[in-house]
Amino acid sequence: MEIILKVESLKKYYGKDHNITKALNGISFQVMKGEFLGIMGSSGSGKTTLLNCLATIIKPTDGLIQMQNQDLSNLKGNSLADYRGKMIGYLFQNFELLDNLTAKENILLPLSLHNVDEKESRRRLELLAGYFDISELLNKFPTQMSGGQRQRVAAARALILDPKIVFADEPTGALDSKNANILMQKLSAMNEIEDTTILMVTHDSVAASFCNRILFIQDGKLFHEIRRDYPRETQEDFHQRILKVMSTLAGGDLNVF
Amino acid sequence: MFSKLVARNSKRDRKNNGLYFGSMIISIIAFYIILSLSHQDVMIFLQKMESDAVSRLFTIIPIFYISTLVILFFLIYFASSMQMERRKHEFGVYLTLGMRRQNLFSMLMLEDFRNNIIALGIGLPIAIMISELISLITAKIVGLGIIGHRFSLSFMAILFTIVGFMIVKFIAFIILSTRIANKEIGELLTYSPSGVKRMLPKGIYLVGSIIGIMFLVKAYHYGISGEAWDSTRNMGITVLLGTLGTILLFFGIRLFIGALVSLGGKRKLRAYNFRQIQELVIQRSTVLAICSLLIFSALCLFGAGVAISSNSSNNQTHILDYTFKDNDLAADENIDVNKVVKKLKDADLESQFEKIIEIKIGNPKADGEVSFENIVNILKNLKDSKNKEILIHNLEQYDDCKLISLSGYNELRKAARLKPIELKDNEAALYMGQEFLIDSVLMNDVVQANPHIKIMGKTFKITEDVQSLPIVTDREITISVAMVVSDDIFAEYTGGIHSNYVSGILAPHIVEEKGLMQAISATNEKLDKASIEYESYIQNMGRQLFFIISASYITIYLATILLVVANTIIGVQFLMGQRKSHRRYQTLIHLGATYETLCKSSGKQINWYFGLPIVIALINSFFGVRSLFTGILPSSVKGNISQVFMIAIFIILLLVIFEVIYMGVVKSNSNKYLLSLMEPKREE
Repeated sequence: MEIILKVESLKKYYGKDHNITKALNGISFQVMKGEFLGIMGSSGSGKTTLLNCLATIIKPTDGLIQMQNQDLSNLKGNSLADYRGKMIGYLFQNFELLDNLTAKENILLPLSLHNVDEKESRRRLELLAGYFDISELLNKFPTQMSGGQRQRVAAARALILDPKIVFADEPTGALDSKNANILMQKLSAMNEIEDTTILMVTHDSVAASFCNRILFIQDGKLFHEIRRDYPRETQEDFHQRILKVMSTLAGGDLNVF
Repeated sequence: MFSKLVARNSKRDRKNNGLYFGSMIISIIAFYIILSLSHQDVMIFLQKMESDAVSRLFTIIPIFYISTLVILFFLIYFASSMQMERRKHEFGVYLTLGMRRQNLFSMLMLEDFRNNIIALGIGLPIAIMISELISLITAKIVGLGIIGHRFSLSFMAILFTIVGFMIVKFIAFIILSTRIANKEIGELLTYSPSGVKRMLPKGIYLVGSIIGIMFLVKAYHYGISGEAWDSTRNMGITVLLGTLGTILLFFGIRLFIGALVSLGGKRKLRAYNFRQIQELVIQRSTVLAICSLLIFSALCLFGAGVAISSNSSNNQTHILDYTFKDNDLAADENIDVNKVVKKLKDADLESQFEKIIEIKIGNPKADGEVSFENIVNILKNLKDSKNKEILIHNLEQYDDCKLISLSGYNELRKAARLKPIELKDNEAALYMGQEFLIDSVLMNDVVQANPHIKIMGKTFKITEDVQSLPIVTDREITISVAMVVSDDIFAEYTGGIHSNYVSGILAPHIVEEKGLMQAISATNEKLDKASIEYESYIQNMGRQLFFIISASYITIYLATILLVVANTIIGVQFLMGQRKSHRRYQTLIHLGATYETLCKSSGKQINWYFGLPIVIALINSFFGVRSLFTGILPSSVKGNISQVFMIAIFIILLLVIFEVIYMGVVKSNSNKYLLSLMEPKREE
């Protein structure tokens, strides 16, 4: 199976000498094509730092990140911007739609940033809009939509350039359970039908149960990994297993996550 | 601790809002310069001879000063309210931590006071320097010489600059801080989103802009046709229509920008840029319209100032420096040229003069014996124009005219480096004073047709161009219409009864050495000592200078203030809007926008945001300046297209320089801010 993303001994330190904070302390993992990977951890465990490193928003102190065999530390200037725009899609907790742009303009924004002809992507826009059930909303502004609708528009934006991998940062964090469920179903189906690779950081065990595999990190280190035994294991069983792992590994305290 | 907080906060405010702070300094400079006008070398000099006009000017300066303070108040109020809005959350935090409202109030006041002192500390020395520089330069330009220059500090100007500035700042501060003080802590702590205003149906904006354009067209029509100048009421209607029209146009302009968004295009972030512009325009359409009107007023003022000053300087033909008088003589006696020369010789002043000229002017022996009928008829056949009507109207009223003897007039022509004219006994040259010759091109067309004129029954053929050299130095003594005739005819027709005007021209080396003003001043002193009576050109020069200086000073002052206010409001509005929408820029960074892309995008937004009010102001001012020309400028400038064109180019150039500076400052501010956004911040 093709390796999309390879992370080796990734380290990110803040501060100096005695005052050093090891946000990431030697994390290694791989993401295969078509995988739906979840990353779970408590607040301050280093999830966001990891995601920021992967999205090249911050530079790691040490270690290797390879996207389809290309070392990210070699990327500069335009190739770096292209990586952000074309290789990855980003889904934010707070949607981060531009509220003065219509849904359609928001979705097409990455095209405009990376000089991609709109005509080429028109078909993909229609496909995604139909898929995420937002065709009726395309000419509306974010303020005229519900939270769930906004996040689905944001998902369409993340996918418009057909990225190699989608990074989702707590995508259900600002949604109620019903809308969270709809979004996760859509993402999961996208993963199955289009073979879209997704890496999702989350606190939410229900959202995590949509993943194929989950990495648990604490204090900047990877310390456990579980994999859904598909198709024998149902989603509900997997959810129970996540909860169990969470309670066991956190010393019996469920509230840790 | 408290003072440290005050110092840090005020420093941060200056840094974050450098544009506003810079504009405060420019306003301080402008205030001092206009208030210290009475200390300028030229003004001190003028006060000696044009004291009435100068003191009248000084009495109206406070009016300008107060009205600009009012305009400045709006700028301060507006910019400070945006600043307060941005710091709202911070105030909420202070209050939550237990700071008393009174303490918060005094903290803000101290911060403001600190910034005021710094602005004054920077602005006043610069103002004093610039004022001295202007004084020196104008003195040099008008030929006053700079030897007599003394450094002058106007304490009154400093005092009023400080007092005016402080009062305006204080009033704005009190109003704004009361508003903040009345808010609940919770209200202060919540972030108000940048907010999309509710859109009304499109038709309303369309109707708005159509009515706006109609109002503007009507206002242009009133302005250009001159109807606006007929009465105060008409002028009021024109101004009202123009103002409302501009406001409505800006109200409706969102449709136009919306259409631009939907047009689509391949440029990077095109839709985003236009949506940003649209949002700013929607949120502040009236403020933008007012800024556009301020720029428009500034352009008109520049136009009027430049036109008035260039007109009064171009129009003067200066040949004679002195006209001598003798008050001892009875009214019907004539001053004798030989007597004047002797007096000068006796006083050892002969070498001061290059030339002494005597011009004889008299009336025909019999009154009512002159007819301009032929000239009027020729005029009537020429192309219709307003000038033509005025000339016909004037000429039809004359039934007599003065006669000028040719020899004296030719001396004057020689002094003016012109060829002497030759007249036979049946020929005459038409002379018209500069004030009466409203259209020399038109009159020369008439003379080309060789008209004739009847004087005491005899017909004279009019040859040569229309003459209009000043006969004496005093411009108050003017001749409306006269005929230059040969000396024999002059003697015959006047019967020997005539006036003599004896005038002198200063030796060129004296003028070159000292500059005209100083040369005349020095000669005046010598003539006074020798008790020779005279009228000198300096009085005219003074009047002319006074117009140039006061027109240029006041218009440039007002125009600068208006431009500063308008541009600062636009700039501050943009920068604050950008800070409010920082999350959008962060999203763009996540989506792969580079720093350069963001800078380009914001640069484009700035171009549009400044461009819209400027372009509309330029269109408005095209009509505004034309209307000013119709309304207040002397007719002699009206026909002079090339001059009008030059003035227009000059104004536009000035505006371009101004805008390039302002937009540059806003762009670099915005780029600095965008760079700070490139660093990710942890948000939980």
